[in-house]
Amino acid sequence: MDNRDPFRYNVLTSGHRACSGCGEAMAARMVTDLVGPDAIYINATGCLQVFTSHNQQSAWQAPWIHSVFANAAAVASGVEAALRIKGKETPVVVQAGDGGTFDIGLQCLSGMIERGHDVLFVCYDNEAYMNTGVQRSGSTPHAVRTSTSPPGQFSQGKQELKKDVISIIAAHNMPYAATATIAYFPDLKAKVEKAMRIKGPRFLQILSPCPLGWAHDSALSVSVSRLAVETGLFPLVELEHGELTGVMRLAEQKPVEEYLRPQGRFKHLFANKAGGVELRHLQALADARIRRYDLLNVDTQWDTETAMQSERHGRGGYTVSSAVREVK
Amino acid sequence: MKQLLEGSLAVAEAVRLCLPQVVAAYPITPQTHIIERLAQHVANGELEAEFINAESEFGAASIVLGAVAAGARSFTATASQGLLLMTEVLYNIAGLRLPVVMICANRAVGAPINIFSDHQDSMSVRDAGWVQLYVETNQEAVDTLIQAYRIAEACGLPVMVCMDGFLLTHTFEPVDLPTQAMVDGFLPPFQFSRTLDPVRPMTLGGASEADNFQEYRAAQQAAMEDAMPVIEAFDAEFNEQFGREHGGLLQPCHLDGAETVLLGMGSLMGVVRDVVDKLRDQGQAVGALRLRCFRPFPAQALARYLASAKRIIVLEKAISIGAGGIVAAELRAALHQAGITTPVESVIGGLGGRDLTPDVIEALFQKSSENEAGATFRFAPDHKSLTRQNEEAMNNG
Amino acid sequence: MANLEIEPGSSTAYHTGDWSIEQPVYLDKWPPCSQVCPASEDIQAWLALASEKRWQAAWRKLTERNPFPATMGRICYHACESACNRNHLDSAVNIHAIERYLGDMAIAQGWQHESVDAQPQTQSVAIVGAGPAGLSCAFQLARHGYSVTIFDAQDAPGGTLHSAVPNYRLPSSVLAKEIDAILDLGITLHLNTRVNEDELHDQFDLVFLAIGTQQPRQYRGDSSNHSVMSGLDFLRCLNRGEPVSLPKQVAIIGGGNTAIDVARCVRRLGASAVVVCAQDPHGSHHRDLATEMPASLTEVIEAEAEGVQLIYRAGVRHLVRSGEHLSGVEIAHVEHVHDRKGNFNPRFFDGTEEFIAAGLVIFAIGQKADWQGLEGMSQANESEGVWVGGDAVSKSKLAATAVGSGYQAAMSMMANLSGEISVYQDHKKSKVAYRQMQLHYYPRQPRCEGESLEQRLDGFNEVVTGLADDDAVSEAKRCLSCGVCFECDNCWHFCPDAAVIKKEGGYTIDYDYCKGCGICAQECPCGHIDMVGRSSESKSPQTSL
Repeated sequence: MDNRDPFRYNVLTSGHRACSGCGEAMAARMVTDLVGPDAIYINATGCLQVFTSHNQQSAWQAPWIHSVFANAAAVASGVEAALRIKGKETPVVVQAGDGGTFDIGLQCLSGMIERGHDVLFVCYDNEAYMNTGVQRSGSTPHAVRTSTSPPGQFSQGKQELKKDVISIIAAHNMPYAATATIAYFPDLKAKVEKAMRIKGPRFLQILSPCPLGWAHDSALSVSVSRLAVETGLFPLVELEHGELTGVMRLAEQKPVEEYLRPQGRFKHLFANKAGGVELRHLQALADARIRRYDLLNVDTQWDTETAMQSERHGRGGYTVSSAVREVK
Repeated sequence: MKQLLEGSLAVAEAVRLCLPQVVAAYPITPQTHIIERLAQHVANGELEAEFINAESEFGAASIVLGAVAAGARSFTATASQGLLLMTEVLYNIAGLRLPVVMICANRAVGAPINIFSDHQDSMSVRDAGWVQLYVETNQEAVDTLIQAYRIAEACGLPVMVCMDGFLLTHTFEPVDLPTQAMVDGFLPPFQFSRTLDPVRPMTLGGASEADNFQEYRAAQQAAMEDAMPVIEAFDAEFNEQFGREHGGLLQPCHLDGAETVLLGMGSLMGVVRDVVDKLRDQGQAVGALRLRCFRPFPAQALARYLASAKRIIVLEKAISIGAGGIVAAELRAALHQAGITTPVESVIGGLGGRDLTPDVIEALFQKSSENEAGATFRFAPDHKSLTRQNEEAMNNG
Repeated sequence: MANLEIEPGSSTAYHTGDWSIEQPVYLDKWPPCSQVCPASEDIQAWLALASEKRWQAAWRKLTERNPFPATMGRICYHACESACNRNHLDSAVNIHAIERYLGDMAIAQGWQHESVDAQPQTQSVAIVGAGPAGLSCAFQLARHGYSVTIFDAQDAPGGTLHSAVPNYRLPSSVLAKEIDAILDLGITLHLNTRVNEDELHDQFDLVFLAIGTQQPRQYRGDSSNHSVMSGLDFLRCLNRGEPVSLPKQVAIIGGGNTAIDVARCVRRLGASAVVVCAQDPHGSHHRDLATEMPASLTEVIEAEAEGVQLIYRAGVRHLVRSGEHLSGVEIAHVEHVHDRKGNFNPRFFDGTEEFIAAGLVIFAIGQKADWQGLEGMSQANESEGVWVGGDAVSKSKLAATAVGSGYQAAMSMMANLSGEISVYQDHKKSKVAYRQMQLHYYPRQPRCEGESLEQRLDGFNEVVTGLADDDAVSEAKRCLSCGVCFECDNCWHFCPDAAVIKKEGGYTIDYDYCKGCGICAQECPCGHIDMVGRSSESKSPQTSL
């Protein structure tokens, strides 16, 4: 066990082989440290599984299991059922990428939710099949370049839209479903903590930039995810039993171009007229989401400006009471 | 005390007696009656377990995977398409070395879709790393299910109990159901060393690379080989406690001095047994050998049993399309390795629920190998045409 | 080999730090406030202490560089606030108000300066001039155990601060108390004393000349002195409490802070004040108050609010007299004030002449040093044991510049005396601009101001009050801590590789695992982290604080 840091558990610790600047590694580290080591983690196949459990070396410091790509929610159902019958209250957390959530894993996820298992399902959404080399997924946004949605003479990247998975999940009479991103840690923290207080199935979709797949500078993972929210392309919302109960208001709406520019996966949109049309399309999608969730006016706890801010001396971190522990 | 029970219900009672804590399944004919009964037991409080209605067989297998990994004895059942939908997870359960027990109510695999019994489903997943035990009767299904948990948990291997759909699952037979105390005396409480538990965190199912993957497979193979004496020993121990045994790996029938031996699996062997008795009564030197344990494949035991046979017939209810009989091919390899050159006649029959009547079996014993030139197998004669032929022969005679 | 369970945390055996091309380093940097502070105060440091209500510690940190917080908090033109990065977020931190708050608290609480070295030194230093430069130098030397004697020709210490800064900006008692605290370190002060070079050479090891600029520059365009005065003399009269009677209208010539001081005093004495000033070159046609005159903008705004009339881009063609009697000045728009060689040689635009009625003209057009008795030392250098500083030689005539000049002279003299090569070196090397920072991590918060006196023209009472206690704290908390870690945890919780380890009071980068993604540097609010090329040798863990 690695106990270098007395202020957090390092449930996901160092030595993992994620790419430099990996948003998923960051998100998973945040979530698992907030949930803590007294939980059972089930991982779908994907980057997170590969880079944390490489060849007899594990970066996990909590019970963790990986089975196959599609079945994480079902394995978690079984784990939770076993704990329930044994009278144990150990939290169960699923971690999956967007493939394991939106696409191949959706059936098991739907079953898990429908059956009401007391499981937190966390989707680290990096908007493509990154582990296999950046192929398009159901989560890939419109007009994105991936290796299976390449721009060409007759194409401007992915032709279809990003699947609205949070609405699909919420439609299950879901006790709690929320979107979050690494850029707004206080918001992410509040959502994880809220999710952990609720019994039954819970779902978090965390936008986790991938410097490799999105083709942005590794240092920009946080700022890119921030811009996804600030442009309205990735609204941060909470839904309880299908009803919208929380929205991150935008302090100001930024043009989508600010988000798209630093990312190579949108580069082709700036190359010609046809790309320009898709730029306007993406702006329209952002505008529509802003209207749909009333992102500019809704009355909420915090907005994109205040959610960034915290205080001196450990302001953005884990609360000392919950994380400071005796080093074993 | 024997009770007249439908096979599904009998085996469901056996499952109940093993006290699984999690039962997960997805309905599919002909397995459905098993889990329906278990659902009722849970609903009635007769079985203290979580009954999970999975969204698919893939999900069901995954649920029992998770449940066993979390330290709960678990059960699932399926058949046919459902088993194949589980395939990826079956390999995974075996690779994780989780002691899962399931029943496969053997059924044909489509297309064309067919709900009746053959062994194509379980034979198709023979390489997944599961122990496969094929039962002949409902009583054996009950007893083998109880043994299966003991084997799985002792060997760290998943066990699939294969019982023929309809022929067993939907057939009423007198069955001696053991008492809870008897089962408890045979089957210790669930124990599993690699339980997901924050008290002792561990990583299960991590990624492996070329420099150690083969060792994982070698370890599974070794575990399978080690399981053979265990299966035999537990059958013997079961016999001591319950007064019934089922042959361990192989169950011979009139092998003494048998020149022609028919080898097969599952319920068809009941018919074979009758035919052998009849032919023995007629003075023919025939015998039969029931392959109860297909995985691990008891190659050496088979060679011992068949060393003196002059003629060997393998009748099986599955086909490796493009190759032929599966058991036959493996048997040929086993005999060859043992230096036995007796030809093995490969016969495939009973597919999609077609009857293997005494006439058909007898015909196999009577007619020697008449494979078309170059063919490694032949299909069993159709029982209806055989009946017609027999009637014509009778009329003509 | 074929382990079915993998040991938790076993990945730490694999050192991903080997992947990195660049590595982050924590680096304390100079915030812009300190960069521009003529006294080189470590403003960030004492604001941080103040934000924790560690008032005395803050005062001590401040006075390491400047023993006049109550004074400077009032009269310094606070270039620090113009440079403050917070201007790019909302508005600058009210640094001068907190400085004053600390100074006032020190006076009220009677805090004593403490010596740095317990060891008394044998060498003695003479300082000529008890203004801010001389006192600053004396303060540093005395703190370090040197014997210091100050000579001043005037009857009170403080130099121009005492003699010519009006009371409404700096009550004389405040200055006196801060000077007393300095002298309490054991400094000998001789007032009303003009020393000559020989006395200095004979009696002291080293000499610091901080004689200031006590001679006003004279207007030479008129032969009569009637109804003409220098700004310096005017302010000195007021500060000595001598009665001054003014005509109804006064014209003040000059655009510096002295001119503004004079104009505001004139208003307090009941007369009208017109300030005529010109700067060259003008640059644009836009009338931007900040560039029209060298005086501090805040002072100019205050003056206008008090009814001072300002005429820019104009100069005096001649004084208009009927006989001796002054009736006013004729002014005209200037093309330039100085010629290409830098000599005073204004050129006027014909046809722009204007008459300004005035019964008194006060010229505030600069001042110079009075070298009488010390002429031989005016060109002396350090090898001869003579240091020169303060207004007499500085281009900038700000009091804070004088304080800084005194500090540097003291450091240089001590290095000379101790035989060391150089002591004057700041530990913070690089600077931090707002572009290197992430301002969105800071909450916007309005700036707290002291209250302004409403009936300000009734006398010479201080026009701005100090900050309330709570305001001083919240204002200090507004400091962005540019370039200096304030433990926000961003680097720690944004590290995808758990390579930033939090310790009690700081962070450590574990280079065994840091992949050099640069997120910590990118997301550090205050620009405290730099990415540098990875050295070939393995780096030992580096700590932030």
